[in-house]
Amino acid sequence: MDRIGAVLCSGCGIGDAVDLDAVAKAAAGSGAAATLIHGCCCSADGLQAIRDAVTERGLDGVVVAACSERAKRAEFASLGFDAAGMARVALREHCTWSHPAGDDDTRLLAEDLVRMGVARVKNGSPIRPLSPEVSDTVLVVGAGRAGLEAAKTVAGMGHPVVMVERSGLLGGHLASQKSVLPEEPPYDRPHDNPMPGLIADITSCSGITVLTGTTIDAIAGQPGQFRVRLSGPSGRELAVGAIVQATGARPYDARKLHHLGYGASPDVVTSHELEAMLVAGQVVCPSTGAPPQRVLFVQCAGSRDDNHLRYCSSDCCTATLRQAYELRTIDAAVEIAVVYRDLRAPGHMEHLFNGVQRMAGMMMTRGDVEAVAVVGKPSVQIANSLLGERAVVDTDLVVLAVGMVPNAADGELVRKLHDARRDAEHGESAPVRADAARLVGELAAHDGTEILQLGYRQGPDLPVLAYGYPDSHFICFPYETRRTGIHAAGTTRAPMDSAQAAEDGAGAAMKAVQCIAMARRGEAVHPRAGDRAVPDFYLQRCTQCKRCTEECPFGTLDEDAKGTPELKELRCRRCGLCMGSCPERIINFPDYSVPMVADMIKAIEVPEDFEGKPRILALMCENDAVPALEAAAANGASWNPWVRVIPIRCLGSVNIVWIAEALSRGVDGVILIGCARGDDYQCHFIRGSELANTRLGNVGETLQRLALEPERIKVVELSHAEFDRVPRLLDDFASSLAALGPNPMKGL
Amino acid sequence: MKVTRPLLVVGAGIAGVTAALEAAEAGAEVILVEREPTIGGRVLRSHSYFPKMCPPTCGMEINIRRLESNLRIRVVAAAQVAAAEPTADGWKVTLAIAPAFVNGRCTACGDCEQACTTEVADPFNLGMSTVKAIRLPHLHAWPRRYVFDRTACSEDEARAIAASCRYDAIDLAATPTTETLEVGAVVLATGWRPYPSDRLPELGGGLPDVIANVEMERLASPSGPTRGAILRPSDGRPPARVAFIQCAGSRDVNHLPYCSSVCCLASLKQATYVKEQLPEAEVTIYYIDRRTPGRNEDLLRKVAALQGVRLVKGKVGRVEPSAGLLRLRVEDVEAERIVEAEADLVVLATGMVPSAVGDPMPLFTRTDEDGFALDDPAAGITVAGVARRPEDVASSVRDATGAAARAIAAAARGR
Amino acid sequence: MASTPAIHPSADFLKAFARQGGGAAARCYQCAACSSVCELAPAGAPFPRRQVLWAQWGLIERLLADPGPWLCHQCNDCSLRCPRDVAPGDLMAAVRATVVERLAVPAFLGGLVGNARRTWALLVLLPIAFWLALLAATTGLVAPEIHADMAPLEGRFHYEEVVPHFLIYIVFTAATLWVLIAVWSSGRRFWRMLGAGARREGSFFGSLIPVVIEIATHRRFARCERGVPKRRWGHFLLMWGFVGAALTSAILVVYMYGFGRYPLPLDHWVKWLGNLSAVILVAGGTLLYANRLVPGDRLAGATSAADRFFLFTVLGVIATGVITELLRFVAVPPAAAALAYVLHLGIVLTLFLIFPYSKFAHLVYRTLAMVHERMARLTTA
Repeated sequence: MDRIGAVLCSGCGIGDAVDLDAVAKAAAGSGAAATLIHGCCCSADGLQAIRDAVTERGLDGVVVAACSERAKRAEFASLGFDAAGMARVALREHCTWSHPAGDDDTRLLAEDLVRMGVARVKNGSPIRPLSPEVSDTVLVVGAGRAGLEAAKTVAGMGHPVVMVERSGLLGGHLASQKSVLPEEPPYDRPHDNPMPGLIADITSCSGITVLTGTTIDAIAGQPGQFRVRLSGPSGRELAVGAIVQATGARPYDARKLHHLGYGASPDVVTSHELEAMLVAGQVVCPSTGAPPQRVLFVQCAGSRDDNHLRYCSSDCCTATLRQAYELRTIDAAVEIAVVYRDLRAPGHMEHLFNGVQRMAGMMMTRGDVEAVAVVGKPSVQIANSLLGERAVVDTDLVVLAVGMVPNAADGELVRKLHDARRDAEHGESAPVRADAARLVGELAAHDGTEILQLGYRQGPDLPVLAYGYPDSHFICFPYETRRTGIHAAGTTRAPMDSAQAAEDGAGAAMKAVQCIAMARRGEAVHPRAGDRAVPDFYLQRCTQCKRCTEECPFGTLDEDAKGTPELKELRCRRCGLCMGSCPERIINFPDYSVPMVADMIKAIEVPEDFEGKPRILALMCENDAVPALEAAAANGASWNPWVRVIPIRCLGSVNIVWIAEALSRGVDGVILIGCARGDDYQCHFIRGSELANTRLGNVGETLQRLALEPERIKVVELSHAEFDRVPRLLDDFASSLAALGPNPMKGL
Repeated sequence: MKVTRPLLVVGAGIAGVTAALEAAEAGAEVILVEREPTIGGRVLRSHSYFPKMCPPTCGMEINIRRLESNLRIRVVAAAQVAAAEPTADGWKVTLAIAPAFVNGRCTACGDCEQACTTEVADPFNLGMSTVKAIRLPHLHAWPRRYVFDRTACSEDEARAIAASCRYDAIDLAATPTTETLEVGAVVLATGWRPYPSDRLPELGGGLPDVIANVEMERLASPSGPTRGAILRPSDGRPPARVAFIQCAGSRDVNHLPYCSSVCCLASLKQATYVKEQLPEAEVTIYYIDRRTPGRNEDLLRKVAALQGVRLVKGKVGRVEPSAGLLRLRVEDVEAERIVEAEADLVVLATGMVPSAVGDPMPLFTRTDEDGFALDDPAAGITVAGVARRPEDVASSVRDATGAAARAIAAAARGR
Repeated sequence: MASTPAIHPSADFLKAFARQGGGAAARCYQCAACSSVCELAPAGAPFPRRQVLWAQWGLIERLLADPGPWLCHQCNDCSLRCPRDVAPGDLMAAVRATVVERLAVPAFLGGLVGNARRTWALLVLLPIAFWLALLAATTGLVAPEIHADMAPLEGRFHYEEVVPHFLIYIVFTAATLWVLIAVWSSGRRFWRMLGAGARREGSFFGSLIPVVIEIATHRRFARCERGVPKRRWGHFLLMWGFVGAALTSAILVVYMYGFGRYPLPLDHWVKWLGNLSAVILVAGGTLLYANRLVPGDRLAGATSAADRFFLFTVLGVIATGVITELLRFVAVPPAAAALAYVLHLGIVLTLFLIFPYSKFAHLVYRTLAMVHERMARLTTA
């Protein structure tokens, strides 16, 4: 922007704390075409004054130096500037609330903040929103409960659905179940299997195309514009706007459970084998063909077990209660024993537990089943049971409540396997080929596991988190996978029961439809929902280093043969991690760019002499660290006045050049404050903090070459709630810098 | 997606906010009604979420940004549904809106707070501390506007407070108002309240050093009554021995016949609060079953492995005060013996009671015996979050996202 | 592992146990609230949680060999707090009834009394019939003559003329011996089973004395949080009533043969003792019965047919006893008084004979359990 107005608010005590005329001068000095001081900018009167100034002085951008951009957002949005055209400078929170009134340092801080604001708007260029052609169709992969529910919900919202199912039948595991868990009050007995009805709805619904015996050959494109090629009988090509992956789960392979006697005796069966007998209406001991007098259920068969599945499969306890009920309805005399570790019947399912237990002849104990001996009748050896340290229970039929394993491929590892294959063949040197060959061996298990067949640079399927579940593992945002417009649902996303899978399908349907709507409006989806700015790649200067294509957490960038990034803007979440990764600094947003922040840093006036006046740059995550800082200010906390805070989208968007810039200009230290990384990461762009940390790890030696101490740069994790900690952090960093003495590059 | 008549979302806790946002970002018009003056409900009163131990305000920060940047959502705070009648294609709903003694001109500058001398029990801290009668409800309150307990102040003080405002944001003459809306479908997300400890005298409910799990969340929170220090309410000393009593009211035909789903994980989480602050403290969790489904199993493993944390199977029978500490009587089921344990602080893992219980609300066309609401597709009503079933935050969000879709479909159908 | 005894849940037991009122065991989810609230459960051998589990699994052997059910005084604190409405208090009563039935010598009598619901008529009528038959076969069924010369306080006739004392002595001495043998053999079996798993210390009598004192004062009842005082005082009176009645009969015999005095005048202190005992028995019995009348009261607990039968027998003995005595002074045909007398003797005989198979048996089992508790140091173990 060229003609920028600096609007200074004297309200909320700002005017009393700093000399705004001086600040206005500073703004003008830094190139503001107009300055305006008002007693309450957010009031109707104040907003009108700004509008007038804008029209009278023909301004194309404004800096509103008042309160945090987190306050009065609607009011200032009414001025009609886009994200590039207006900068909010938090004089109130970052300066006057948190620093002594009338103090020189406080004034200098205010002046710097406003200069930085001006620099920011100067570097902004108008946002040209996309308005792409998008397809309304939603592709649902997998026709289990989650998939069917997703299809039904999408259709209910008026969108066409194409549903592909690998097998010849709809309904998945549930279709062949006698009943499901209670879904209606009083919740004390199983619920009729809803699948027949659901399947009928789906097949009779005009908006839903069902393709059984069909798999996916290839998916290319991006949200709103996916191009799907199907294999199988239909073998057709179609355009879809969003995708729901509901490929379900499979039972854990009971053959791995030797110690529980599976395979050793025909009278040890899995819960799924029992279900088949329940459906047939006759439960027998396979060895004799006679109905059992005693049935013993072994819970956690393969779940909660270091040698098998570490996690709890969630629905085995309630499934056993349901099967016990069905078993009893078939044969009122049968004795049913259950050996569990913890009986997990959460929420309303407690009513089922209670209801089933009210049937006489239920015998239940906590215990760890150590072994099932199968000489003649099965006898179950239990340790740490309530029946004693060691107990042996004889029974006619043993049912193993086996856990579930997701039907999902690990997209990233599959990609790794493909790369390794290529290198094993065409690697430039023998050792490279050897390493690659070894890797191929290690990853062999992932061979042919592809489901979605995405033509993405980062792999053909969703990335997975713990235990092979393609889940974002967010608590607040459970559907935000790392592939925009592709939403996992049901037991493929997390272990869950059938009712939850149904809800999950509906939820994924919501997100799919929403993604199409936002793509059509050219808006980013979560977490920067509504952001319409798109990154610009100045490819003439691209060196094909592939950092951006490899580091994007959302697989936004593909590559051409040479390795040049190909932006699929509708996949983009606007985190700016690519911007941070690019050594050539050719990736920029109209409202957030490398030069923009670099100029903001330049706008900081660094005193030539160190005499107690160092300058400290704080690059802080705008979603967590900055709100924490502002909460501290609202709470009356104060911190070192020589700190200059620049809010950034994510630590991952920090380009090393900014730090070089700061240090070369004599800034004494740079602190980066972002979100938690690691397994329990809190970064909303998943890898931002992680990447920043590795990148900065690498600048250490660069600094030493410049004869600078690595301690001048610090990366800290801070959560949104730690408002009590953040001022201390800044002060401690300041004092550690004081110990180091001035930045030798000062005044050079 | 054909955009139809607006959706009404009742309750702006995590479920309601989610339902409103998901629907609005998909293009639906949404009216979000909240009884309290700010949104966020119960989750904002938690210190952190299991299993990742991340702060609720972090997700809410994003949701507030989404909310503010989305013109399709209208939030009506400090309002309740007073009446509702079915129409041909939805509902005609009357909102009763509390008087806005502080209006939209408020800049949250804090001058009025200085002018106010009257202190009242802080509802945000569950009454564990006091605040000024006029105040920002909490640090991240949204709408970012002060609230005024007018009745707590004398007329003179009220006038002084009003006079202190430089932005004409305090209106002592404000009166209750009503508003009538025509909506296409409804999402009920009215949430829950904790089961009252004083109904559990045998477990020490009502004793000063016997607190509920929700109170523990406030104790551990930097914005809580103790600025995040876990201290005994009675003498303000850090506890050396903390006992968690699971199923305090839940899974009990005498209290709540259902399982409240979250208490096991909440106590495991709170055990980590204690151990992080007081590494020497001994923590004992008395449970019936350790219900940590799915990958939450990892949290159980993590906490069980902590030095000085014990999980004991057995429901506590009695909690009695004795010489400044608390005496618990319980059978250690695994050891098959009765133990008389001592604790300095007892945390009751009290369960969830749906808000509608004992407080009949319009639009609750179908409820079960426990007071949880059920979807009523024919009436265009869907239910999300704990109003429907005891569940954790992640499930509520998942649930609410689906509910938004069902509501849109219902509105599209015209009931 | 091989050493571990296999568990064989017994469906038949479960059915029988359900009949005794233990059907709710299946509902238990083992939270241990019951043992945690119980004031009487010894730290080292808590009840009733484990007993409920054993019942659920049909582990009869463990139930028979366990002191818990006998240390329980059924205050029903547990039933009040049970989150699953299992009523462990009643379940313990059912276990006691089961033990009495299963350890009965001879077994069939245990069954007979245990099934009072169906067999009560037989149990009452048989002894009466026996007396009538006995009299017919010996002295013949005769009405006593009225003696005008008797002092007013001595009544109008002697019951001796209806049933000669020697017959009474023969019958009841035999009955008593029989009861002693039956109780002794059941008690011995029980004592051995209790000892099987446990290490005992000290002498039997060394522990018996404090136990007897505890029983005499009913101190344990007082430790229950609720359920007292109705149950405590009812049981206290009933017990001492019986002791009084027993003393009376003993002293009567002494007087008759030691001093040749018969009949004793109504104002004689021994008579007073007898009547006082009767009053105390009635008071206690009524208290206990009233306590059970509140329907659905978890504190009161359920009442099995066997309980009711026993209670009625006791009240019957008292009632017929008092009536018999009064009729000596009232101007009714002596034949009627004679009949009342025979009825009285019949019911008393019933009470004697069912002793080892009825509630009475707990006098033995509970005493043994309490002695065992001390000798095996269960409270501290």
